[in-house]
Amino acid sequence: MPSVDNMTTTSYAAPSLAASTGGRLLRRLGIDTQYVLLGFPLGLITVVLFMTGFFLGLGLTVIWIGLPVLVATLFLARGFAAVERARIRPVLGRGMPHPFYKRRPDAGPLRRVLLPLTDGQSWLDLLHGMFRFIPSTIAFALVVTWWAGALGGLTMPLWDWSIPRGPADQDLPELLGMGDGTATRLIFYFAAGMFFAGTLYPVVRAAALLEAYFARGLLSGVNELREQVAEANAAREAAQAQKAAAVSAEATALRRLERDIHDGPQQRLVRLAMDLGRAEQQFATDPEAARATVAEALHQTRETLDELRALSRGIAPPILVDRGLQAALTALAGRCTIPVDLDAPPMERLDPAVESAAYFVVAEALTNVAKHSHANEVQVAVRRNATGLLITVADDGVGGAGLAKGHGLAGLDDRVRAAGGVLHVDSPVGGGTRLTAALPI
Amino acid sequence: MRVVIADDAVLLREGLIRLVEESGHTVVAAVGDGPSLVDAVTTHRPDVSIVDVRMPPTHTDEGLRAAVRARALVPGSPILVLSQYVEVSYADDLLADRLGAVGYLLKDRVSQVAEFLDALRRVAGGGTVLDPEVVGQLLVRRRRDDPLRGLTPREREVLALMAEGLSNTAIARKIVVTDGAVEKHVRNIFTKLGLHQDEEQHRRVLAVLAYLQG
Repeated sequence: MPSVDNMTTTSYAAPSLAASTGGRLLRRLGIDTQYVLLGFPLGLITVVLFMTGFFLGLGLTVIWIGLPVLVATLFLARGFAAVERARIRPVLGRGMPHPFYKRRPDAGPLRRVLLPLTDGQSWLDLLHGMFRFIPSTIAFALVVTWWAGALGGLTMPLWDWSIPRGPADQDLPELLGMGDGTATRLIFYFAAGMFFAGTLYPVVRAAALLEAYFARGLLSGVNELREQVAEANAAREAAQAQKAAAVSAEATALRRLERDIHDGPQQRLVRLAMDLGRAEQQFATDPEAARATVAEALHQTRETLDELRALSRGIAPPILVDRGLQAALTALAGRCTIPVDLDAPPMERLDPAVESAAYFVVAEALTNVAKHSHANEVQVAVRRNATGLLITVADDGVGGAGLAKGHGLAGLDDRVRAAGGVLHVDSPVGGGTRLTAALPI
Repeated sequence: MRVVIADDAVLLREGLIRLVEESGHTVVAAVGDGPSLVDAVTTHRPDVSIVDVRMPPTHTDEGLRAAVRARALVPGSPILVLSQYVEVSYADDLLADRLGAVGYLLKDRVSQVAEFLDALRRVAGGGTVLDPEVVGQLLVRRRRDDPLRGLTPREREVLALMAEGLSNTAIARKIVVTDGAVEKHVRNIFTKLGLHQDEEQHRRVLAVLAYLQG
């Protein structure tokens, strides 16, 4: 849902490519390498700690002391998991939020102590700790090998002279059938170094990702699922709120319409019927009086037509439907009893619901201004940008308007929300009123 | 006749005033809310009052309640109540004191000037007048074992007209038969429905209504 505050244009500059790409690659390589290198000892520590703790606790459960051992292990697992979640941030580019662990602050001390045993995420943390040595070790082996290959191969010509070679020793190129020459050897190992260096970045990245995804799956998989569900729920609630606002706006509008019809045209028509009935009686006895009555009835008919016309404008103004927002707003401005300064550039036709919402925002705002504000002038502005329509109605009257009191502005708020937009009221007492509505397109 | 008119809509109030005065009656008071109606009835003791059911402040049934209050203060003061739509409970409230001289018509009925004035006269004379649509609704809500089925179509017609408050003569004129035929129908109706025959017109209405609603 758009917010009024964000309705500004933004600009950005294209980054310079070549230098920063190289720098970025190097930084990523460094991050991944340190992640994997640290992960190896961590994996060994945690597997020892947790396997011991878990099986010890399990075995000792028969005598009660196993339970606190298990709980302690779980707490340890949580701690290491927190460390891992923090470590992962630079590798994956996004942090993992602290997950939801079960808490029951109102339970007794014994129950609170044993609570982690029932908390799924704690057990997942333990599982991760127990088995992370597998991906950690694989990744470590890959990374160390590739770095060694790259660094060693590329620098080989510098230190090859220092390696003792006896007559019976055979180097790899010789074994491969390439002959015994120094040059061959140097070129071979240098080429190997080039190969390792060339594939260093993808291999290290893959190794780091292997370890990181393993961690992420266990440590925050459940959490992410929960977050997705929460997001879906929130989206559904927002949609329901919008629908409720729409229903409420419609119901209010219909009630008002019924009241307007009842108090206006309907009464006039009853009076009309009465007058014509009287005229009918009078034709026989007093034709002159009958003529006068019929003239009155004609007058009533005209007034009724005017009222019906106004009502029809209140439902679906023909000018809005036929000629669009700008024309309809001009007509509104012309009818307002307070001078209106209208700033609405011509724009293409929009979705009828949006045009209708925009029109009624201005119409009701102008009615409120005319009725309550005692203003000298009103400024109405309509602006279109990429995401929506921004409508502003500002007057220099007495201010003090609010969304809560009366029907006017609350009904307006409903209408705007029903169209998926946001209404903002700025009305200090004595300082004029400014209504801003942002409608999405 | 001296008439009090109570209606909150200025247009309709004036229309009623003209209508009544053109028929030769006098409007002694024209008011726009319940308390003023009660005052007017107690002060002027009119021959009949015309009262709109809807009055301020809530525009639901203040008019009706004021009419009932006025009748409590001036028992039997004839009141003709006008309503936008049929609400059978209003009829019940009006008839509750069983004194007659009460009418309940739909506002649309006012355009049929001759009938409206006739109803006015009947109420002023102590009769009971109910709008045909009210009666129509009463005839509709029936139970499954409906003794009204035992009535011939003509008898149902006569029953409806009785419930509207017409006298035998008026019924005869309306459905174009002799007075004697109407009396025969009425007797049959009362026998078939097991009702006690009553001479007084408004009590007859009450009996029929009580039957239809029970």
